[in-house]
Amino acid sequence: MRRQRAILAFALGSLARRGGKNLAVGAGLAFVTTLLASVLLVTSALQAEHAAARGSLPDLIVQRTVAGRPALVDPAQAAEVASLPGVRRVRPRVWGYLFYPALPGNLTLVGLPEDADDLPPALEASRDLAFEGRAPRRAGEVALGAALAERLAVGRGDEVGFPPPGTEGSFRFLRVVGTFVSSSALRTADVALMAEADARLLLGVPEGQATDLAVDLTTPLEAGVIAERVGGMFPGARVVDRSLLGRVYALTFGTRGGLVAAMLLPALAAFLLLAWDRLTGLDARERREIGVLKAVGWGTGDVLASRLWENGVIAAGGVGVGLVLAYAYVHLLRAPGLAGAILGWSELYPPFTLVPSLDLGVLATVVGVLVVPFVAVGLVPAWRAAMRDPHESLRGAG
Amino acid sequence: MSPFDPAPQRLRRLSQAAGALVLALGLVGAHAAAARRRWAQEAAAREAALRFLPSADLALSSTSRWLRHPALAEPGAPFADAPALLDPDPAGALLAPPRSAFAEVPGGTVELVLRASDGPPARVPTSSPSSSSGKP
Repeated sequence: MRRQRAILAFALGSLARRGGKNLAVGAGLAFVTTLLASVLLVTSALQAEHAAARGSLPDLIVQRTVAGRPALVDPAQAAEVASLPGVRRVRPRVWGYLFYPALPGNLTLVGLPEDADDLPPALEASRDLAFEGRAPRRAGEVALGAALAERLAVGRGDEVGFPPPGTEGSFRFLRVVGTFVSSSALRTADVALMAEADARLLLGVPEGQATDLAVDLTTPLEAGVIAERVGGMFPGARVVDRSLLGRVYALTFGTRGGLVAAMLLPALAAFLLLAWDRLTGLDARERREIGVLKAVGWGTGDVLASRLWENGVIAAGGVGVGLVLAYAYVHLLRAPGLAGAILGWSELYPPFTLVPSLDLGVLATVVGVLVVPFVAVGLVPAWRAAMRDPHESLRGAG
Repeated sequence: MSPFDPAPQRLRRLSQAAGALVLALGLVGAHAAAARRRWAQEAAAREAALRFLPSADLALSSTSRWLRHPALAEPGAPFADAPALLDPDPAGALLAPPRSAFAEVPGGTVELVLRASDGPPARVPTSSPSSSSGKP
């Protein structure tokens, strides 16, 4: 312990003697760590956000495709799915996209079924945390996402005109009775929730037909079996299994994070090259220093331990500062610049706050990609110098 | 120990710097824990709002349906408008789920999101529509 303490004190002195150089390498390491950790933090926060939301989805979502495009589901098909054993409830849903010329951009219109009496109280109970005002209960009312309401500069009590398809110049006016806020904003930026009759009118969905079916099962574990049976019931059926959506999200954001991380590879490579150049090319002074140490009785192990401490102090400091900066950049400043690349862009961008994900994988990746190569790269030249005859080192340095 | 020995001073400075770094990392941890606590408290409200939505997809891109709801869009959605048409949305390269997230089931009538079950991702059949990858 005393021995290591003395070696550490010597290593610190050695670091201080080449202070400018070491500070530059430490700053470079901190910068590269910030870049890499920022991408990893954003990606893991998005995956955690998705994983937490899966519980509120139906067990299966049944869609229909015709000629490779989504088509409306007929009432007979809904009844057919409902008749399967193990199916607890089938809810035909009416939702879709409407181009809103004033933005210009697409809105997600969602129809609230007339028989869904339990849904509005559930929404209103989330007062202030996810929803303000009240849910639309009758035709002529609408609840808007926060970004949409802000963009249209409307609040509760105002009326918003939506253009029904095929009616040039005419609008269906709906009164705003509520807005999605805060914790739901990330998913509802472009959402307009309205009575099903209004949604049918604006989306052009005939009475009785639906965009898709939300299926709840008696035993969610049977989802795979029932999904396969539903798939064979009518041509073009497409079934989305809730338990598998996590995989879609993990792949989606993993790919995106991976792409952005891949863009950082030149920066990582440049830094490691710089570190390699700095740490492998021992200058005459350093060789002489090692020669003197050997001459006064230091063993090869002591020289290597000293070099390990030097690199370890730079690596720990650089990575520690880099992680703190990455956290501040992502979770306090909301990742300006990076967010556009990973999160996408839109006319109606949600005012979001990413929730920090306590993912040790981020730390492991940074340590594996940066710290280990950085510390290792400095040991080989120190070992080679330490193996040389001290006389030769001192004379060669002379 | 000599009064001019610089070693204790160096070690003291190192422990001060290490202490400051540990404190900063501790503050980061405390901030993250507080944010996660708030987030957990809002879980019920968030789920109540989610029950109205078609899916839990984030509203990060409203320009194309396969980017607004990647979990619900069929894999060929970006290419559905004409044969061999490229994805017209520049965000498609970054936002769309990779093709390996989907698979076909026997008969070729269904495109079913893969069962994650326990193994590695199943391969998407490319030659025979009646092959059986992606089965539960």
